[in-house]
Amino acid sequence: MNHTLDVQHLSKQFNHDLILSDLAFQLEKGEILSIVGPSGSGKTTLLRILAGLETPSQGSIHMYGEEITFQKANQRDISLVFQQPLLFPHMTVQENIAYGAKLAGKKNKNKTSDLLKATGLDRFKNYFPSEISGGQQQRVALARAMATEPEIILFDEPFSSLDPKLRHQIRYWVRDFLVDQSITGVFVTHDTEEAMIMGDRLALFHEGSFQQIDEAEVIHKHPANSFVADFLGGHLIVDEQHYVPLKECSLEPFNEQEVRSYHGLLQHITFQNGQAVGHIFLKDLDHQVSLPIHEHVSGEEVTLYIKESSIRTFGGSAL
Amino acid sequence: MKLFNNKSVYLLIPALLFLLLPLYGFFAAIVQSLSGGSGWTLEYYSSLFESSRFLSAIWFSIRTTLIATILSLIIGVLITRSFYPYLEHHVPRLLVWLPMLFPHFVWGYMIILLLSETGLAAQLLVEAGVITDSSAFPIWTRDPQGIGIIITYIWKEVPFVILMLLPVYSSIKPGYYDLVETLGGSKVRQFTAVEWPAIFPVLMEIALIVFSFTISAYEVPALMGTTFPEMISVLSYEWFYGSGWEDRPMAFAAMVSLSLLILAFSAAGFSILQKKRWRAMRGRSV
Repeated sequence: MNHTLDVQHLSKQFNHDLILSDLAFQLEKGEILSIVGPSGSGKTTLLRILAGLETPSQGSIHMYGEEITFQKANQRDISLVFQQPLLFPHMTVQENIAYGAKLAGKKNKNKTSDLLKATGLDRFKNYFPSEISGGQQQRVALARAMATEPEIILFDEPFSSLDPKLRHQIRYWVRDFLVDQSITGVFVTHDTEEAMIMGDRLALFHEGSFQQIDEAEVIHKHPANSFVADFLGGHLIVDEQHYVPLKECSLEPFNEQEVRSYHGLLQHITFQNGQAVGHIFLKDLDHQVSLPIHEHVSGEEVTLYIKESSIRTFGGSAL
Repeated sequence: MKLFNNKSVYLLIPALLFLLLPLYGFFAAIVQSLSGGSGWTLEYYSSLFESSRFLSAIWFSIRTTLIATILSLIIGVLITRSFYPYLEHHVPRLLVWLPMLFPHFVWGYMIILLLSETGLAAQLLVEAGVITDSSAFPIWTRDPQGIGIIITYIWKEVPFVILMLLPVYSSIKPGYYDLVETLGGSKVRQFTAVEWPAIFPVLMEIALIVFSFTISAYEVPALMGTTFPEMISVLSYEWFYGSGWEDRPMAFAAMVSLSLLILAFSAAGFSILQKKRWRAMRGRSV
């Protein structure tokens, strides 16, 4: 059985900088992979290579078993939704969507009107991009990408220019839309929450390679290394090999013998989901953690307790 | 009193003052062209449109101007889109804009020195043995086809076209080119979908400016043209300063007709740019 997308040993070098190093992953039909990593880590370069806008220095890309590594962007059955909507300002919403289909040679009046309905933009079909909101513009951009009937849609942080509330709404909408149309997708973001909402699997990207690819729950339970644990949060990193899940840390002493403690400074208190969260800087570990707290005040010295039995090794089970 | 509280009235005053003189001139010309010995008359206009000299002059003017304008636009667009990243540097930009610093007359004279039958180009070709005699060089200045006029104007106006287009090209987001590519479009599509809509409104404005200037300017056709056919400006000048006073109203009638022609072109151009699509292109509320 051929994978929808099969990437092997992909590397990209700009001058002497290695941006991508020996990347490999596979996607099945209808699967959505979220690639998450810090800004400027080369995620966009990876998408541009998949879209055909750049060529890799090494490695291969296959789609349904057929090699497309050096196929031009306009020959590939892959669409890219950019960070900005990039709508054609002189075309109406409807014309923008139809133009995508026209370029791909798949123009069909019914399809455009179906997409207008599916994106909830039917009412705005004769509006120009300057007359609709940022969220609506991004929906038009998605519909335009869809109109080319691609096998795969790539998303390059498409919601990063939207305000938080709109972002929340459109995430679920896009996710449902992709699942509904069983579209294979690669979704790039630097926001871990967004990555978990959008993707079936998560790929943590750092320094040119994937640190871990798996379902969000697996990654949370068994982070592969300190970068993964640090980037996702939710863990106290004891050293390069060991970590403790934050929910097993406490500001109250345990009645056990083998307990470690770290001194910390409660820097801020914020409120999330109705719960007070303390942001504590642990001087010994040079590391900041965020924990639900009670009855503490900002600026206070606190002590964090962990059981020795809670300490785990990266990529493995408990000690 | 409310009228004077409105700031925009004060802001309009300089523009109105500025327009006062040309408008006065224009209306005076209309009055001159319409007044006969005893009251109003259309006599000058009817004889104008029966005059074969005027008709061939206006045809020659429109034709020469259109060729010069369209070629300037095409060459300007080609140069700008090929070199705009490079043209943002100082030295190349200065080289392109150099022709704009010279008066049209000087530029016309340079073209004569360069391209006349005894000019530099002809002599170089004779020296190089490409042509045997300088008389074998084609007649490109003071020629009945207006080639010299066209070359002078193109050389002068292309830098202006580049000057106007450069900010437009610099403001096109590179992402749009990638977008068209990922949607499956070719290089041609990149031009028609991305560049053309951005430059079209500006090209329209440049075309109107270059056309209006070229068709009515005097010095270049006077220097580079023949006695027949002549450009409308040269003909009007002759009628105005000719041997008798009797042709003066004809000069006014010719100039008024030309003004109306330019007005009609401008009105057509602006009405196209006022369409919703092009207003949307400029990001204005539609």
